[in-house]
Amino acid sequence: MLKLLEYLKEALFGAGEQARSPQDVEQLRTAFRARYHSFKLLLAANQKALETMSDMERALVGARPFGMTYVKAACTAVSVNAMKIIRHLTELAPGRYEELNARFKAIQEAIGAVLASRKPAAGDRLVVPLEEVDKSTVAETGSKMANLGEVLKEMNLPVPGGFVVTALGYQRFIEHNDLQVEIDRRLQSFTGDKVDDLHGLSAEIQQLITRASVPEDLARAIQLTHARLERALGAGVRVSLRSSASGEDDAGVSFAGQYRSELNIGADHILEAYKEIVASKYSLHAMSYRFNRGIADDQVWMCVGCMAMVDAVAGGVMYSRNPIDDRDSSIVINAAWGLPKSVVDGSVTPDQFVVSRSDPMRLVEKTVRVKELKIVCDPEEGVVREALLEEESSSPSLTDEEALRLAGMAVRLEGHYGCPQDVEWVMARDHSFYVLQCRPLQQVACGLEPASVQDVDRPPIVGGGVTASPGAASGPVFFVRHNADVLQFPEGAVLVSAQPLPRWATVMNRAVAVVTEQGSVTGHLASVAREFGIPALFGVPRALERLTAGLVVTVDADRRRVHEGRLGQLLTATRRKNLMEGSPVHDILQRIARCIVPLNLLDPDAPEFRPGRCQTLHDITRFCHEKAVHEMFTFGKEHRFTERSSKQLVADVPMQLWVINLDDGFEREVEGRYVPLDNIRSIPMRAIWEGMVAIPWQGPPPVDAGGLMSVMFQATVNPALDPAMQSSFSNKNYFLISRNFCNLQSRFGFHFAAIEALVGERPGENYLSFQFKGGAADFSRRLARVVFVSEILGEFGFSVALSSDALCARVEDP
Amino acid sequence: MGEMSVLLVDDEAEFLEILVKRLKKRKVNLTAVTSGEAAIQMMKESPADVVVLDVRMGGMDGIRTLDEIKKIAPLAEVIMLTGHANVEVAMAGMALGAFDYLIKPVQIDELLYRLQDAFKKKSLQEQRERSQGV
Repeated sequence: MLKLLEYLKEALFGAGEQARSPQDVEQLRTAFRARYHSFKLLLAANQKALETMSDMERALVGARPFGMTYVKAACTAVSVNAMKIIRHLTELAPGRYEELNARFKAIQEAIGAVLASRKPAAGDRLVVPLEEVDKSTVAETGSKMANLGEVLKEMNLPVPGGFVVTALGYQRFIEHNDLQVEIDRRLQSFTGDKVDDLHGLSAEIQQLITRASVPEDLARAIQLTHARLERALGAGVRVSLRSSASGEDDAGVSFAGQYRSELNIGADHILEAYKEIVASKYSLHAMSYRFNRGIADDQVWMCVGCMAMVDAVAGGVMYSRNPIDDRDSSIVINAAWGLPKSVVDGSVTPDQFVVSRSDPMRLVEKTVRVKELKIVCDPEEGVVREALLEEESSSPSLTDEEALRLAGMAVRLEGHYGCPQDVEWVMARDHSFYVLQCRPLQQVACGLEPASVQDVDRPPIVGGGVTASPGAASGPVFFVRHNADVLQFPEGAVLVSAQPLPRWATVMNRAVAVVTEQGSVTGHLASVAREFGIPALFGVPRALERLTAGLVVTVDADRRRVHEGRLGQLLTATRRKNLMEGSPVHDILQRIARCIVPLNLLDPDAPEFRPGRCQTLHDITRFCHEKAVHEMFTFGKEHRFTERSSKQLVADVPMQLWVINLDDGFEREVEGRYVPLDNIRSIPMRAIWEGMVAIPWQGPPPVDAGGLMSVMFQATVNPALDPAMQSSFSNKNYFLISRNFCNLQSRFGFHFAAIEALVGERPGENYLSFQFKGGAADFSRRLARVVFVSEILGEFGFSVALSSDALCARVEDP
Repeated sequence: MGEMSVLLVDDEAEFLEILVKRLKKRKVNLTAVTSGEAAIQMMKESPADVVVLDVRMGGMDGIRTLDEIKKIAPLAEVIMLTGHANVEVAMAGMALGAFDYLIKPVQIDELLYRLQDAFKKKSLQEQRERSQGV
C-alpha cells in the first residue's frame, strides 16, 4: 500500500526535490559537482590520449626521426591517460564497466611484450677466430666481420688474419660493469633538445665505458687469441680494431664511419683500444645517426673485429658500380698512398680509376690527383700523417694492371653477394691486395638527364670536383671547421668544409647540401649523404675562400657548380628520404600502434559497443567517453534531481532539443521543464546553435542533401521523441553543456551524429570534434556522404578519419 | 576551496630549484624536499594537498614513497613526474592511486593545470565526505 502511495505521489508530483530535505539536495549537488569534475578530467585525459595517438600516427607516416625514448614516452602517455579515463568512468558509474579493466590489462600486456623484446646476445663464444667466421655467424660477430669471414672462407680472397670479440663478449663487458642500467637511465632522462646537450651526454656515456674494466674471462680470451695470431704471423704483430656492430653494413644502412677504428695497436693496448671502440657506440655522430635512422640503442651489439695490420703501400675504396648512376656498371676505384684511412675520412682527394666491365675489362678513365699526404703506421704505435714529396704526391698510386686486378676482385665480390659492393682494400709491399671491408653499395638513380640540361646565365661562384651525391639544393652557406661548428649548425644550411669528415654526418638531417674542398665519391660522408638524399659536391677547389658564410647559394651537385642565390629551375624535387620507414624503431612503433590506434567501436548503438569488444586503447577511450556522456545525462533523471535533469529548449525553430546543464551553462537556474535560448550561457553551444540556424529552415532538407542537417532535422522533428521522461538517451537530441563545454548528441534511426567542443581558458586543452555514422541509404551512398563531409572538414583544418561509413573529425587548439 | 599546498619531491637539486622558482612565480604555495624519506616526514607533520613526486630517486624511490603517502594521507593527490618513461612503472604508480604520471620535460602551465585539477578533486572529495557526515 505504501509503495502504491509512493508510486502515485511520484507519478502525480514527479517526486522531485519537493520530497527531499535541503541536506539531501545539497548532497546531490555535491555529488554532481564531483561527478562533473570526474567528467571533465575524463575529457581532458581523452584529449591527451587522442593527441598522443595522432602524434604516433604522424610519426609513422612522416619523415621526422624518433627514437625509443619517444616510443616509450608516447606509450606511457597513452596508457596513463587510458587508465585515467577508465578510473574516471568508474567514478561516474562504480562497478558498471568492470570488464574494461581486464581489456586494458590485456592490451597493456601486448604493448609490454613489444617493448620488452630485447634479445640476449647470440652465440656462446666471447672471441671467434676469423677463419671460423662466415655469414652464418652474423648475429654473433656483426655483419662487417661476417662478410670478411665469408670473403676469406668462401671466396678464398686475401683478408688479414684476425678474430672477433663477439656480441656475447660485448654483453659480458657491459654486464660485468652494470653499465646498461646507467646508460639507459642517462638516455631516458635526457631532456635536452640541442646538439650540444647531446654532446655532453655522449661524452659522459663514453667516459663511463672507457673507465670500466674488461672482465677477466673476456680479457683472457682476447689475449689468448691474439697470442695465437702472433704465433701465426710473427711476434709483435700489430692489429687494427674496428667496429662490427650488429646491423652495421646491412643493406640500406651504411653506418659509414660512424664508429671508431683503432689502427696499429700492440698487444699491451689491445684492451684499451677495445673499450674505445665499444665507447664509440655512443659517439655524438653514432647516436645522431641511429636516431635519424630509427635504430634502437639496445639493438646494437658492438662486436669488434681485430685484424693484423698490413704494411700498406697504397689503399682505398672501390665500388663495383657507379654509386650515383644506376645505369653505369663501371667499377670505380679510389686510391691513395699509404693506408686507406685518408680516402675514407676524406683527408685526401684520391686518384680515380674507372674500369669498364667489357671482356676483357678495360681502364676507361684514370684521374691522378695531387695527394698531399699519406697515412702510415707509426713505428711505435698508432698511425701518422706524412707529407708527400712532390714527385710521389702526383704519381699514380696504382698501376693500370693493379687497377684492373682490383676491378676483377670487385666483380667477383659482387657476383658472390649478388649486389653492388663497396670494398675497402689495401696493397701490401709485395703488391698483393687484401680486402679490409666489404659491404652492400647503395646505388642511387642518376638525377641528371644530359638532354635537359638548362644552363644558367650567371657563372657559378665555384665549380668542379666530383658529384658525391646527386641532386641540387639551396640554402645559406655555413662553414664547418671544428666540432663546435657542428653544434651550431642551422636547419636548412649548406655545409661547407675543407674535408668531408665522417663526423659531419651528425648534421646530415639538418643540412640541405654539402660542399667540400677535398674528398671523393667513395668517402664515408659521401655514403651518408647519398643515404640521406642530400646533394654533395666534393673536391671543389677554393670553396672555402670563394663562398661567404650566410650567402644563399644553390648547390648543383649534378653539374658540379655552386651558384649565388636560389635558382629554382635547378632545384631537384625534394629527395630527402624517409629514413624512418622500415627501420627497427619504426617497426616497434608500428607494432605498438596496432594495440593503441585503430578504432573498432564505431557505432555506439551497435550490440558490439561494449567493454569486452575493446581491442585497442582507442576503443577503450571511445567507449568510456560515450558512456561518460551517458552517465552525466542520466544522473539528474536517476536521482530525480531536476536541477540537473534535461530541459526542453525553447527556441523559434521546428526542432525538439533538450539541454542538460552540467555546471554553469545557464545564465539563471531553471525551475521548470523548459529553458529559453536566451538563458543559455554556454559559449560552444551558442556557437553551434548559430551555425545550425544560420540558414532559415523551410522544412526538412532532402534526404540525401547532406549528412548532418538531414539527420539532425529528422531526429528533432519526430513527434515520437516526446520529451524527457519516456525516451531514452539513445534516441533523442541533447546538449550537455557548461559555460565552456558542449556535447551535442543526435540519434535517429540508423544515424548517429555528435559534436563536442571545449573552449576553456587552458590553451592546448580545447578542441572540437565531430562524429557521424550511418544513414538509411545504401552503403555506396553512405560512403560517398562521409567522404564528402570529410573533404569539407579537411578544408577547415580538421583531421578526419574514415572507417567504413563512420567519420571521426577533430580539430585542436593550435 | 582554500589555498592549495604543494609538496615537490625530487633528488635532482638543480631541477627542483628551477621548478620551485617557476611555480612560486605563479603564486603556488609550496615546499620542496629532495628525498622520499623527507617527503614522508613532511606529510606526517604538515600534509600537503598535492605532491609532485619524482619516480627515480636514491633511497626510497617514488613508487614506495607514493604508497607511504597514500597510507598517511589518503586524500592527498600525487602527481608522478619523471624523466624515465616506463609504462610498467607508470601503471604501478597509477594503480597505487597516483593522480597522474607526467613525463619531463613538462610545460609549467601543464603542470599547473594538473595541480589545480588534483587539488579540486581532493577538495570535492572532502566536501562530499563532509556532506555525507563521514
